[in-house]
Amino acid sequence: MNFFNTYKKQILYLVIALLVILAFFTVGRKSKATPIDNILGFIVTPAQNISTSVSSWFSDKISSFKDETDIAAENEELKAQVELLEAENKRLSMYEDENKRLSALLDISQKYPDYETTGTNVIAKDPGNWFLTFTIDKGTKDGLAPDMALTDAGGLVGRITECGYIYSKVESILDSRSSVSAMSLRTGDLGVVKGDYTLMNDGLCKMEYIDAESEIMKGDEIVTSYLSDIYPSGITIGYVKEVVTDENGLTKYAVIEPSVDFKHISTLLVITDSFAQTTPLPEENTQQEMPQQASSVDVQNQSAGDE
Amino acid sequence: MKRAVIIFIILLFNLIFQSTVLQYFRINSVIPNTALAVIISIALLRGRLEGCLTGFGAGILQDIFFGNSLGYYALFGVLSGYIAGRFNHNYYRENYALPVFLCFTGTLIYESAVFFTGAFFDGYLNYFYFLVNIILPEAVYTAVVAIVIYRLLFSINDRIEKSEKYKRKLFSIK
Repeated sequence: MNFFNTYKKQILYLVIALLVILAFFTVGRKSKATPIDNILGFIVTPAQNISTSVSSWFSDKISSFKDETDIAAENEELKAQVELLEAENKRLSMYEDENKRLSALLDISQKYPDYETTGTNVIAKDPGNWFLTFTIDKGTKDGLAPDMALTDAGGLVGRITECGYIYSKVESILDSRSSVSAMSLRTGDLGVVKGDYTLMNDGLCKMEYIDAESEIMKGDEIVTSYLSDIYPSGITIGYVKEVVTDENGLTKYAVIEPSVDFKHISTLLVITDSFAQTTPLPEENTQQEMPQQASSVDVQNQSAGDE
Repeated sequence: MKRAVIIFIILLFNLIFQSTVLQYFRINSVIPNTALAVIISIALLRGRLEGCLTGFGAGILQDIFFGNSLGYYALFGVLSGYIAGRFNHNYYRENYALPVFLCFTGTLIYESAVFFTGAFFDGYLNYFYFLVNIILPEAVYTAVVAIVIYRLLFSINDRIEKSEKYKRKLFSIK
């Protein structure tokens, strides 16, 4: 105690210097949890799990109490929507069959393959106001690894940044540190979806580096592009809410409304396929060759039919 | 030793509470900084050394579970514990005005420091926007929550101090 009192300034400066050095050396390096992290994880994560389930139960009860009157109307609406979607689903599955047959003929691998997924629960969220990261209740024990992508029913949620034994840390796409290579489904324009401090709390993000001559517009669906090393291609990110031309006039950015409701995420899917192996296609070649091949296949088919 | 264990449990409990239950009490998506309120309360009740240690514990826990690097929040925790501990000497513990006021200004400074070491370097130069939309609401919210937290820690600290006194007497009889 006396020692502390006499040298408290020096000790403080030493501690500050050590912490600053430590912080600089550990920035973004960690992807595997250290043993200390894991021991703490064994104490903290089960408690977080219980605490989250209890509070979400209460929040569900309260909101269901509030919404009771709207439920009947919503039910009707949803039924109508289900019918519509079923019809569309049938149509699309026919397309899928057709697509499979044609691509088998063309001998190209599927651009949007089925991914192996595993379900997980969100057990805790970042306790501050600057970042949007959260913890999920599965880790290396269940075969998860850093850089795996997470989706919700609606679309992309984020990626795993660090894996403990029974928990993993996830960085959402709204977090300012996240950037996702993306493209507009309608026009094929490329860009980068980034989190933004000013938009994050409204549940929005930004798509930057869009070419000024692109025809991207409000309502366009944005999906992950084939350029990313981390995210599988073709996962919906969200829809364009607003397109703004940058001050320099050379590029545009778009405000994206993610299709995932980040205020109410609870159950998520982790894409566990190691995705780097499934993208051998150099995209340019296939795009150039496809029309020719397709037409030749058509001709063959027709001639076969004729015979 | 007993005191250290109890404070560590309080910090763990605070982390769990902040990352789960409090998430449902975000007002306009702003969440109070209860960790800072705990650090300031303990620093006020017990002085600089314990303020620093509590700040370090709370910060390193946040670094491990939600941080980007080890030591970032720990540094801010140590500093806030040290500064708040300065006010330990001459104030009445029963007076709530000082803890509440300190939590308000403390949050203002703490979050501004987080802004200037993080978002500012990412090219978000508009401090005023963040001051109005995040930092000020958070400071007000934290100050309100601090009344409850200070009251709780005050009584917990009272009990620990009493038990410590009792032990010391036992030893003196020996």
